[in-house]
Amino acid sequence: MITTAGLTEALLWGIANGCIYILLATGLNLIFGVMKLVNFAHGQLLMVGAFIAYEITTIAGINPYLSIFPAMGAVALIGIALERFAFRRVRGTEKLNEIFISLGLIYVFQNLATLFWNENYNIQIPSPLRGLSYSLGEVLLGYDRMLAIAVVIVVLVGLVLLTKKTKIGLAMRATSQRSDTAMLMGININRVYMFTFAVGAALAGAAGALYGIVFSFNPAIGALPTIKAFAIIILGGLGSIPGAVAGGLLYGIAENATGYLTNGIWQDAVAFALLIIVLIIKPTGLFGEKGE
Amino acid sequence: MKIRSMLETLLRSRKLYYALAIVTIAAVLPVFIRSEYLVGQVLTLMVVFALYASSWNLLAYSGQGSLGHAAFLGIGGFASALLATKIGLPPILGLFIGGLFSAAIGFLIGLACVRLKAWFLGMVTFGFAVIAVTTVSQFDNIFGGMIGFATPTIAPYGLSFYYATLAIVTMSIVTILIVMKSKWGLAFKAIRENEPEAKMTGINTGKYRLLAFVISTFFAGLAGGLFAESNQFIQISIFEPYYSFLPLIMSVIGGLGTIEGPMIGSIIIVSIDSFMPLSYPYLQPLNPFFPGVSNVGPSLRLVGLGFFLIIVVIFLPKGITSLLRKGYDYLREDPSASKKVKLDEET
Repeated sequence: MITTAGLTEALLWGIANGCIYILLATGLNLIFGVMKLVNFAHGQLLMVGAFIAYEITTIAGINPYLSIFPAMGAVALIGIALERFAFRRVRGTEKLNEIFISLGLIYVFQNLATLFWNENYNIQIPSPLRGLSYSLGEVLLGYDRMLAIAVVIVVLVGLVLLTKKTKIGLAMRATSQRSDTAMLMGININRVYMFTFAVGAALAGAAGALYGIVFSFNPAIGALPTIKAFAIIILGGLGSIPGAVAGGLLYGIAENATGYLTNGIWQDAVAFALLIIVLIIKPTGLFGEKGE
Repeated sequence: MKIRSMLETLLRSRKLYYALAIVTIAAVLPVFIRSEYLVGQVLTLMVVFALYASSWNLLAYSGQGSLGHAAFLGIGGFASALLATKIGLPPILGLFIGGLFSAAIGFLIGLACVRLKAWFLGMVTFGFAVIAVTTVSQFDNIFGGMIGFATPTIAPYGLSFYYATLAIVTMSIVTILIVMKSKWGLAFKAIRENEPEAKMTGINTGKYRLLAFVISTFFAGLAGGLFAESNQFIQISIFEPYYSFLPLIMSVIGGLGTIEGPMIGSIIIVSIDSFMPLSYPYLQPLNPFFPGVSNVGPSLRLVGLGFFLIIVVIFLPKGITSLLRKGYDYLREDPSASKKVKLDEET
């Protein structure tokens, strides 16, 4: 049964889901922008973040929204290790090598997580606001989803301040424009790369905690969020944060509207079809820059 | 004339003799292994995946790393299985029509991909695999859904099927070798190394990238048909990302861009897959430490596979083939060869 209220609700939920994907996509985008590296295992970092937030919330009994911070920190540490011990070693070699490394990481993370948390059993981070919603006529707005949108806005504002107002942000922007010249200007490229990867991973960790609050999850969820984040980046253009925000909202709405109109069956497929069509028409993405 | 010169280059290539040696070993092995399971399952699977990985490798040879090759494996597999069961076509004919069908769809996807860069291409191919499995799972009455259906085989299961598969795969891999050694192969290589420069020298990059896509997806479809027949069974799990990543892992571990790499990779990975389960009973004491699984074996195997891939990429970027080649040069004590290796390292 398709109703206006139902459709409105689907659109609003789409915005909320889109926001979580935006966080993931921005992390991916940041890493790409500065390091010219594509991390296909980014969704696995989201999954790890979700599990860390879950464990902290259930064991320490704190508010799930506070668990976002330790999740971000822990995933950032994992990110530093990945950059230092895996990606740095293939930097400057063939582009495909980075893709291969991240595929290896997908196997490692997903199956290590399977060892500790049952793959066939979905869990969700317990939130005190679960099931509560603000009713706007016939349209229901879940508090959890609205809070998720607020958290995403706060994190994104923080990220913009970090890249525009701080010294390390300046170094990151310089490195993203031309790494060789940045090195000549006395910027420690290795440190910038490590920091960038840590920030990107932390964004994935935050996205994971929010994902765990809004959706139920298991160790095998990682692949789909990665692809969705990619879809968003492709829609918005590689390396552009406003593009990622626009792409994320567009994608979330398209996905949820399709899901609503087709009872969820074609949700993932139609979104990809949209993505492929955009790429055929404009290979650099809707708002993409020229070049890379 | 052209074909003759092509054959001459082929005969001059050392790789042909390596390939022939591998085929000879593969043909003689069943004489020594008198186990129905080992020949029917393990050896056959090695041969089928050697073709599948080679098809992926050919595409990567042109600089296009597909992350959704399982779509073509599945399309070829389902097309040949459906042609054989629903229409009653002889399985051998269905096999090749399945390959052609896969190549036709590969042509369409290739058209979408010719202008894309490495990671975009990876995403589009991966996305296509998702679309393919979603579409197929909508028509359970045709495709059999999660349960799947039995497929007839081109030859009686066991030894004769193994030899039939070996023959088809050998011909296919020799064809792939001819393509890689030909002018087309040179164009693929030029595109992989530097696409703008390749375009500048007058190579129609779009045409050649599309060509690589069509040839690769044809053989992937063929491998899909053989894979379904070697299981005597097909179900939609053939579209899983696991099967998309498998040829990539095999090619990289064996040696990317070489003809023998995917074969070696296939032998290694299928051996690990087939013989790892024997060690599962010994891993039982670890079970209490890992609450997520009832048996730690399968997950540990995949963790190991991931680490294996990462370690090979970091420490042995040219795959196990490069190790074998170094060993071969060392045994021959060819001073020019060792000098060549040194030069390669310097550049």
